[in-house]
Amino acid sequence: MLLKRVVPHAVLLAYVAAVLFPFVFVLFSSLKGSNVEIAADPFGIPKTWHPENYLEAWVKAKIGVYFFNSVYLSFTSALTAALLSAATAFAIIRMRYPRIGRWIYQTVLIGMFIPGNVLFIAQYLLVMNLGVLNTHWALFLPYTAGALPLGVLLLAAFMKSLPGELEEAAIMDGLSSAGLFAKIVLPLTLPALVTVFIVNFLGAWNEYLLANFFISKDALRTLPTGMVGFRDAFRTNYALICTGIVYSVAPVLLLYAFLQKQIIEGMTVGSVKG
Amino acid sequence: MRKRLGIAVLILLVALSAALAACGSGNKETANAVTGDAGGASPSASASSGTGSEAGGTDETKAEPFTVSLRHIQIGEAQKFRKAILDDVVRKTEEEIPGLKFELDGVEDQVNRFTKLPAEMAAGNPPKIFDLFGGAGDALKYAKAGRLLDVTPIIEELGIADKFLNLSQFTLDGRVYGLPIGGSTEGFFYNIPMFEKYGIKVPTTLEELEAAAETLKQNGITPFAMGSKGAWVPLMMVNTLIGRYAGPEAIDGFPAGTHAWNSPEVTAAFAKYEEWVKKGYFTKGELGLEYADMLNQFVTGKAGMMFDGSWRASVFKDPSQAGELTGQVGFFPMPPVPGGKGDQTFVNGNYSNGYGFSADLNERELTAVKAFIKNMYNEEMQLRGLLEDGVLPSMKLSGDALGKVEDPLVKQIMETMRQAGGAFSHFDSTVHSEVYKESEAQIQKLIAGRATAAEVTEALQKIQETANANP
Amino acid sequence: MKHPMRNPWIYTLFTVPTLLLYGMFFLWPMLSSAYYAFTDWNGLENYRYVGWSNFAAAFGDPDFRRAIVNNLIFIGFSIFVQIPLIVLFALLIASVRRLRGFYKTTVFVPSIVSTSVIGILWGFIYEPEVGPLNRLLALFGAGPVYWLAEPKWALPAVLIANAWQWMGFYIVLVLAAILAIPRELHEAAVVDGANGWQRALNITVPLIMPLISVVVMLSIAGGMRVVDIVLVMTKGGPVGATEVMASYMVNEAMGINPNYGFGTAIALIIFAFALLLTSLYQLTFGRRTEGGYF
Repeated sequence: MLLKRVVPHAVLLAYVAAVLFPFVFVLFSSLKGSNVEIAADPFGIPKTWHPENYLEAWVKAKIGVYFFNSVYLSFTSALTAALLSAATAFAIIRMRYPRIGRWIYQTVLIGMFIPGNVLFIAQYLLVMNLGVLNTHWALFLPYTAGALPLGVLLLAAFMKSLPGELEEAAIMDGLSSAGLFAKIVLPLTLPALVTVFIVNFLGAWNEYLLANFFISKDALRTLPTGMVGFRDAFRTNYALICTGIVYSVAPVLLLYAFLQKQIIEGMTVGSVKG
Repeated sequence: MRKRLGIAVLILLVALSAALAACGSGNKETANAVTGDAGGASPSASASSGTGSEAGGTDETKAEPFTVSLRHIQIGEAQKFRKAILDDVVRKTEEEIPGLKFELDGVEDQVNRFTKLPAEMAAGNPPKIFDLFGGAGDALKYAKAGRLLDVTPIIEELGIADKFLNLSQFTLDGRVYGLPIGGSTEGFFYNIPMFEKYGIKVPTTLEELEAAAETLKQNGITPFAMGSKGAWVPLMMVNTLIGRYAGPEAIDGFPAGTHAWNSPEVTAAFAKYEEWVKKGYFTKGELGLEYADMLNQFVTGKAGMMFDGSWRASVFKDPSQAGELTGQVGFFPMPPVPGGKGDQTFVNGNYSNGYGFSADLNERELTAVKAFIKNMYNEEMQLRGLLEDGVLPSMKLSGDALGKVEDPLVKQIMETMRQAGGAFSHFDSTVHSEVYKESEAQIQKLIAGRATAAEVTEALQKIQETANANP
Repeated sequence: MKHPMRNPWIYTLFTVPTLLLYGMFFLWPMLSSAYYAFTDWNGLENYRYVGWSNFAAAFGDPDFRRAIVNNLIFIGFSIFVQIPLIVLFALLIASVRRLRGFYKTTVFVPSIVSTSVIGILWGFIYEPEVGPLNRLLALFGAGPVYWLAEPKWALPAVLIANAWQWMGFYIVLVLAAILAIPRELHEAAVVDGANGWQRALNITVPLIMPLISVVVMLSIAGGMRVVDIVLVMTKGGPVGATEVMASYMVNEAMGINPNYGFGTAIALIIFAFALLLTSLYQLTFGRRTEGGYF
């Protein structure tokens, strides 16, 4: 009887351990003094603590720069995508142009079917021709554009469920459609907006392919590319590499700790609807 | 409530990172890649970073500030001496030209050569000054497409046109499109104490080399350090073997059509490499190791020899990089091979890495470029490169200057070059990009045991013939 | 007076920016890909129309064929190895009462981290001399395995790293579906004498089949999309053992000899494959599990 209760937990705990051990391992390794120590005792707590590794990595890997670029790019593209999607969803669903609305919806829906990297080269050429290669626009524009189909989809679904009486009331009070959007609808869709924002923020934060090839100037690099470059330059200093990994992962984990519900919801619902 | 907390966290993160970035951005202006400005390089680095520095000369004159983008490959510990020299040239040039500020962009060598620069050339927006490799696949290709500045008038004006040892890699139709910064030769570095320990003397014949390898192997030491994830690394030895088995003319002969990859001699070169792979003379797991890992193998004593370019010499006088092996490294060229064609005393000699300049320059940028060339390509800097960095000069130096070299390793290298009958280049600067690309794929197949030497050379010849048919 | 909801200016303002961005970065690239794929443009010289030769060259290249096989292996692994495990773990989590939130939260974590960082992390784990995996093996006396350097180990190694990243995501997804099954069904079964396993197999699994179907489709899409982890861990090596179609495309288009024409042809092939596999699935198994979950 007890066994039946224990077995699922045992299995699950083993799985959770397998999931978490790399993180723990990296954390410990980042505080160790040398490769020899890491090799000798991979799972052990560091004998001597070397927090200066973190300072060294910060300076050598210029993490401050990459971090700032990632935050700024992810934030702006996610915010813009959220607002644009909201506006478009509002226009399609609630404004009275049903046929155009449906057409726009279908067009945007197509975007959901295109796998991520198919457009990579063509987008590269486009960005090149626009002359914004190697600037932050080169990433901001594709990231924002890429976030639109899912954003419109999710927000349209959400807005559809909003009661119509609010609008009627607002219109009778003399609000224009823009006012209605800003003052009534937007606040009401906040939960969905936050979800869309977070999903896109994470997507942009973690994006590697475009970030690697569209930006070569070091001062503009984002964290994923910077970390890979750091790994390549310091291949043989594993403690330092682990420190870099911790820097990249910690902010995401922090975000996750506070917003896990929205993150999980956003990512799962988003992909299923797609 | 939770939502607001979440949003607050986000805003906090943005603010925090902005603050941190501002603190850490003291180095930001230099826009160097991953290395810290290590050791002696820091004073000049921060001066040249133009953080509103006095060196910019912007307070004296009313000249409008302008920036010139400078792409270099001097990132990482091993390149710090070169970086110091570059920084000094940058600083000096900025002092001379009012308003000038260089914007340095450090990129890893292979990434710059094979990813960034080709893409930028295609887009038509390369940096103004950039690290450039000579030869058909690089400089000459871009020169043909009109992307490179013709520096012939500049070097004639500066009077250095005939001071270069070898400009052939950068010359197209008699015009020069880039300037090599140094020369290099590829040969064997060896662990002096280890050789003594096992009673190995410096090999002068192929048999002796193989015997040395065997001795090391018997004692549990990898004979040749190798990291072949980057396929260019094993190709260094392959190139020199081709020079031995098929003769120095073969290297230029491939694109000219006078020599074939699938000739018995060239195939013999690949076969010898294959033999050594099969005998286990190279580092195990080499296909997963990068160039830096190969150095690590050698420096930590896991391998006794390392075939590499002379540019690595400066690493071995730096204790922070060479550890116990500091000053304990020697150099010898690939010994003659039995039955080899051509002069077996020839060594590999490359003058193919240097700087190129965008053809798209305005007047002020052109002045900056001229000053840069003047400050970079002169006896003083060449000598510094030799003394501080162990890089062989690409320009003629006076006997006095050459005599100043003290580092025994560099002296050995220079002696090797002096005793050689002549030099042959690396085929990566003579053949078409497609052929080179194929050679990278093929050597890895050979190492993995997926292809034999004969198959490799057949494949290469096929591509070479196609390339020769459509120049 | 026109109804405020029929305001053309606002409508335009609200839709045009989105459509513009979307058109520029989705529709236009699709069209231009379709165009460039039939040329041999390499960025430097004028290009020529070359018809289908890019496609012929791609399928004629054994390295590309290998890449196709690798993509299929990724997909196969996801479907036949990962999905059963995913369902198992989801069932296990659903069956316990305590710590459910803990399990759900922790297994999900790897899927929110950047794939490139995961590549660095696992590259380190697989390190032949310093990495923990080989140290663990050493405890059992097994020699160092050159995980990412040997063609026969490299692909499994990448597959495992990839699975580690994404399984949690799917587990949470399936878990949500399992938990949505009305309790009365289970209670009725218990009354009829069914034990846990019987209930799982006969009630839960059939009811979540529509979601599993979605998971399969997502796995197919994901398998076609793999690229970051390969580029960061092995760059497609050793000797193409881990090359996937997308990494092949990136190496061709952005490598030593950039060939954008060829690269876009590959991109189209990837797209076609994704469509083909998804449709194939829909036509064969998808129909059976139509149950209108979403």
